[in-house]
Amino acid sequence: MLPMPDAAADVTTDLPELNPIIHGKLRLALLSLLSTVEEAEFTWLRAKTGSTDGNLGAQLLKLEEAGYIAMEKKFVLRKPQTLYRMTETGRKALTDYVHALKQLLGSAINS
Amino acid sequence: MIEGMQQQELKDRLNLIETMIAEGRQTTERWGWTFVLWGIAYYVAIAWSTWGHSNLAWPFTMIATSVVTAVVSTRQGGSTPETTMGRAIGAIWIGVGVSLFLICLCASIAGRIDVQTFIAVVAAMLGAANAASSIILKWRGQFICALVWWTAAALSCFGTVMQSSIIGLVAIFLCQIVFGSYMMLSEARERKANGTKSGAAHA
Repeated sequence: MLPMPDAAADVTTDLPELNPIIHGKLRLALLSLLSTVEEAEFTWLRAKTGSTDGNLGAQLLKLEEAGYIAMEKKFVLRKPQTLYRMTETGRKALTDYVHALKQLLGSAINS
Repeated sequence: MIEGMQQQELKDRLNLIETMIAEGRQTTERWGWTFVLWGIAYYVAIAWSTWGHSNLAWPFTMIATSVVTAVVSTRQGGSTPETTMGRAIGAIWIGVGVSLFLICLCASIAGRIDVQTFIAVVAAMLGAANAASSIILKWRGQFICALVWWTAAALSCFGTVMQSSIIGLVAIFLCQIVFGSYMMLSEARERKANGTKSGAAHA
């Protein structure tokens, strides 16, 4: 049975919007990586994502400003280390993003 | 309604999340060298105390090896992220290490420990640490090490000084030197395999 126009309109309005902060490819990769560890160093994130220092720093700053990650600077054997960890807000935002993504893909398959 | 291209983009995002989560979990920590280092340290301490007849042999070797382990692991710590699993395993080894050091140092100062009991205590505790670590990591190879240590601990209780010493030396060779070298090879192979894969993501 073909869906009625009104019903189709309802489905469209029910579709969730994707969080634009997380939707960026590198930011999404960073949040996904940080979700698997307690905290990670800048160099580890750079190696895993293969991005440049400048781009990585800028994207991490955006995530930090959104409250999704927290940054801590410390010295280990007199060498500076920048550590990042995911906040509870960030974990919830990533979970919501995945739910929204699945819902959108589900609706695409069903339509 | 989602267009075909948008749908593909959404699928790409989902794939990216899965890939990055797998990448994060694949992080290998390098601990094989510590097994080899501590194996060598035990041999040095045994040789020094046997032929050098020095009471300083064990405490000095153990403290020096602890310092080397702490410095090297701190230096390599930056390249690996902190995980709950890593901290759990670290806690086991630090706990066992401190317990062994304290009990062996105090018992030998008090003169209340013989060679057989010393080997049995050390082997039993190392067996416990290897078993706990192997259960966390779901690693059969390390559980075999635990079984070797426990067997050495049990046999040491019934053997002569010479028999117990040989059992201890064999257990150190198998569980520290051989297992540590095997770990180092596995870690190098894994790093090589990970290095060939690209985890690139750009904004």
